[in-house]
Amino acid sequence: MKRYAALTAVDSVNLRIPRGTCYALLGPNGAGKTTLSKMIAAVLPRDGGQMEVLGFDPWIEQSEVKARLGVVMQSEVFDEDLDVRRNLEIYGGFFGLRGAAFQKKIQELLKFVQLEGRDDDAVQALSGGMRRRLMIARALLNDPELLVLDEPTTGLDPQVRHAMWGTLRQLKQRGLTILLTTHYMEEAAQLADRVGILFKGKLIAEDAPRNLISEHLPPWVLEFDASGHEETLVALGAETLAERHGDRAFVFHRDEAALRRWVGEKAFGAAVVRSTSLEDVFLKLTGRTLDE
Amino acid sequence: MSDAAPARRAPSKAVRLRAVWYRHWKVYSKFIVANATPAVLEPTFFLLAVGFGLGRYIHREFNGLEYDAYMAPALLAMTSMYTAAFEASYGTFIRLRYQKAYEGMLATPLTRHDIFTGELLWCGSKGLLFSSIVALVLLAFGHLRTPWAVLVPAIGFLNSIVFAGISYLVTSWVKNINHFQFYFTIGLTPLGLLSGLVFPVRELPYGLEYAAYATPLFHTIETFRLVVSGPAHTSVAWAWACPLVLVTMAIVLGALGVRRMKGRLKA
Ligand SMILES: Nc1ncnc2c1ncn2[C@@H]1O[C@H](COP(=O)(O)OP(=O)(O)OP(=O)(O)O)[C@@H](O)[C@H]1O
Ligand SMILES: [Mg+2]
Repeated sequence: MKRYAALTAVDSVNLRIPRGTCYALLGPNGAGKTTLSKMIAAVLPRDGGQMEVLGFDPWIEQSEVKARLGVVMQSEVFDEDLDVRRNLEIYGGFFGLRGAAFQKKIQELLKFVQLEGRDDDAVQALSGGMRRRLMIARALLNDPELLVLDEPTTGLDPQVRHAMWGTLRQLKQRGLTILLTTHYMEEAAQLADRVGILFKGKLIAEDAPRNLISEHLPPWVLEFDASGHEETLVALGAETLAERHGDRAFVFHRDEAALRRWVGEKAFGAAVVRSTSLEDVFLKLTGRTLDE
Repeated sequence: MSDAAPARRAPSKAVRLRAVWYRHWKVYSKFIVANATPAVLEPTFFLLAVGFGLGRYIHREFNGLEYDAYMAPALLAMTSMYTAAFEASYGTFIRLRYQKAYEGMLATPLTRHDIFTGELLWCGSKGLLFSSIVALVLLAFGHLRTPWAVLVPAIGFLNSIVFAGISYLVTSWVKNINHFQFYFTIGLTPLGLLSGLVFPVRELPYGLEYAAYATPLFHTIETFRLVVSGPAHTSVAWAWACPLVLVTMAIVLGALGVRRMKGRLKA
């Protein structure tokens, strides 16, 4: 649990991440993702509750936990007074890393994140995507057992995001345990073995991405422009799960054909029939879209 | 990259402090010449101005010395005070508020205590470096009168710890970087005058001399007088006690300052 004055930012969250798996925390702005990640990463103290990270209490044995963690924070925190390579050297120094093997490691990691040859550049001279990649490299300097990534792909263009996913998949294959927070349903679906939905500091649902969908919603959804179709929506609601969020109407059904038939019968505007996604689950559970 | 992640152990406290210290050294030493030149030039010009200018109009002795010789120990104190005070106020505040440098450090095995203790030791080292440089200038002017002057760097170190600690207390409290101007203009500058920088404290009016005894800088200056000019040229008869006060203040104020900054970084 974590309180900021009267606000309880993270409240009775109960989660377990088995070694070697990837867990994604989904949640809208202000859900408490960053706060929870920082508590796990032994950066913030907690105000109550139990927590064990790699066998240690992260607040009581801060240094032990942090020595085994790789952290990519949501806000970029580089040492602006140092260039790319010095940033990695000094950061590694905080882990007690130095010497020739460590220098070689830096070289390998720069290559791994495709930043080789940028050693002497100022960090400020890198693009946003490059800086994110540098943060990944920095988080891997100490061969961590657990990676904590707070919105690692927010603000990246789709191409870079996909490349980042590839990188994270590689890391997972090497046996790293990963906790990542994200706004992107697709990211969670692509990378995570388990997904938790965090909303107003509470974990309101948790399961494998596929199960999370099937648990909460039928597999198909018809989405259309709601205005002018209020009555139809009510009528369909009697038959199956139908919801309205803002201007859009969502009609869920386990039978795709039924939905397609309705599209043929009624003159819906901008209608699509698609399989239900984590986004829909999120909308159903919280009544809000992720970027609201 | 190795495939099997070895179980890492946390580095020891000493390694962590050294790493923080090294971070500051690395940043600072990039511009070491530009950074250290004023430390040489300022006391040089000052001693020239006093020795060949102002001093010629002052026909009296101060603690039994010529005016420039009287001021020499105080220069060491002022140098080590200002270098630490700047680093632990503007420097620390910029790292805290603008660069967010500490946030990155917090994701590593460093604790808040490591971060600020390492930085405090760095401030001390800067004081050591700067007072050594000034001591060389003093040596050139013939102002180092006892072999005990080899202790100057250590005293500079301690004085910088004192003022880094005090500056931490201020930094942990200010909301706006401009407020440091008050600290320097109505805090440290008058403090220099009060502590016997330009004339002996016993000549202060209205019993202010007793206020001077309560200031940390007075004890530093007297300690420098002991080792630079000799026991015969101190401002008070009990100057032998001043080094003890200095050591105590360094420990107490340093620890208090670190503690306050730890709290500040939590928010
Ligand atoms: N230092 C702080 N002081 C006071 N309140 C805070 C502080 N940090 C976060 N909060 C509050 O705690 C709540 C959770 O914030 P948090 O940053 O963990 O959300 P988040 O899920 O990471 O959001 P985002 O998606 O925007 O990054 C928010 O209501 C936020 O305003
Ligand atoms: Mg966040």
